[in-house]
Amino acid sequence: MHDFAALEGRGVIAAFLASTQFVVAAAAQAKALGYREVPSVFVPHPIQDRTDAEMRALADAALEEVLAAVTRR
Amino acid sequence: MPAEERETVAWPADGYVAVVKQDCPTCRLVEPVLAGLPGLTVFTQDDPAFPEGVADRRDDTDLDASLALGIETVPTLVRFAGGVEQGRVVGWSRAQWAELTGVAGLGEGLPEYRPGCGSRTQDPDVAEEILVRTRGGSLRARRLEIAALEDEAEALFDRGFTDGLPVVAPTPARVLRMLEGTSRKPDEAVAVVPPNLAEATVEKVAINAVLAGCRPEYLPVVLAAVEAACTDEFNAHGLLATTWGAGPAIVVNGPIRAEIGMNWAGNALGQGNRANSTIGRALQLVIRNVGGGRPQEVDRAALGHPGKVGFCFAEDEEGSPFEPLAQSRGVPPGRSAVTVFAAEGPRGLADQISRTPESLARSLAQGLRSVCHWKLPGGFDASLVLSPEHGRTFREAGWDRARLHWELDELLLLDRAEITRGAGGIEEGVPARASDRPVPKFRPGGYMIMYAGGGAGMFSAVIGGWAGGPGGSAPVTREVDPWR
Repeated sequence: MHDFAALEGRGVIAAFLASTQFVVAAAAQAKALGYREVPSVFVPHPIQDRTDAEMRALADAALEEVLAAVTRR
Repeated sequence: MPAEERETVAWPADGYVAVVKQDCPTCRLVEPVLAGLPGLTVFTQDDPAFPEGVADRRDDTDLDASLALGIETVPTLVRFAGGVEQGRVVGWSRAQWAELTGVAGLGEGLPEYRPGCGSRTQDPDVAEEILVRTRGGSLRARRLEIAALEDEAEALFDRGFTDGLPVVAPTPARVLRMLEGTSRKPDEAVAVVPPNLAEATVEKVAINAVLAGCRPEYLPVVLAAVEAACTDEFNAHGLLATTWGAGPAIVVNGPIRAEIGMNWAGNALGQGNRANSTIGRALQLVIRNVGGGRPQEVDRAALGHPGKVGFCFAEDEEGSPFEPLAQSRGVPPGRSAVTVFAAEGPRGLADQISRTPESLARSLAQGLRSVCHWKLPGGFDASLVLSPEHGRTFREAGWDRARLHWELDELLLLDRAEITRGAGGIEEGVPARASDRPVPKFRPGGYMIMYAGGGAGMFSAVIGGWAGGPGGSAPVTREVDPWR
């Protein structure tokens, strides 16, 4: 979330991306940084034990949402 | 009443000022002397009707004049000329009173000398109130009011200030007393605390030291630990946010260990010593209450461990076969320092048979190898706490810390065939490679060796860390003395 804030501060369009286990952590950190809402995409958990092919599938599945998150205003 | 709302006390620029209290036999003894002394102003600390017969008698039950005059004993007689103190006499002494006032034959019939009594400003029951009145203005933290019917401990739980255990209420008086542990100003910045990147002032750290149960003399250690933990190298933010269960631990070196009564002997890593228990807790409370790092919010540990309440101990420098850890990390001898490092709970490592350093080192290497996963090299840091009975073997063999590191490094070169994914029927491991070169278990500098513990027991301890180096956490050492 700090990365999101840093990128946004430099005028770089950004979105927050994590797995669903981090919804609460993202909300707590976003609130602490003063955001009411951060464009966020949460992919299904787990992540750590996924193969490269499974990770690519997760990324592909999230692509539309990510594009929407960085273009929606 | 806050200082700015109080009237400034004053007395005539020329003449005498006496400070008394009715409760003091010597003050009652000199009552007739005071009644007969011209140009005298008397401030009375307890009974406003005492002493009788004095024209300019003033109520000082709020002790403002006594504090302004720096009174420690009553009666005290002070002479002023042009608003400047010319001299003072403490207690009753006919000769000294006569000399100060220039009035001969004072106190006819009284004994020559009687010592005074303690000023009410020195009473323990008013000391706290005086401390807040005189120095409370230096505190900047938001004040919280707790209703009369609220239980203090419960109120602090309800407001989210605790780690799950009761805390000591950080009243202004307690915070001011804690601040006496450092020469630094309350509003001085110590660090920017993750995850919320909030500035921790000396005052904010002192408040959390009170909450944790610290004594004022521990405060410099807590301040140094906060400074060390809030560095890019230590990366407290990453350590907090990782799903791995490690937390910050502190090992203390130097003279301050003994000065504040830390434990480095039996049960050094355990409970029972106030300094050990509360210093580590204070650091974690700073991260919670200043930085906003709370479990199940930004603290994403899947499991955590009991030492995340607070993990702090001292190294046994006197008994160690090695130079103190802080010295090995660049701190000059004779200086106090903290080293913060990422830590899981300690795991005991028994070897009650080895009599040679080579055999014992192999045992220790086996224990270190288990950190993170027996098959995983290079990622995680660790610490080894060597106990006295294991240290003896290395001392007798003449091994210093560098030699033990060197030997352990050799023993911790992992055979690729054992650690490849699938080896041993375990899917976890490193990807298969053409190379068969052995792989170091730890990155260079990826494990520390410390020395502590009771004199009996051939048991050392391995403390697993977290991902080491850039992106992870590296141990950080900071001197304590600048925070005294």
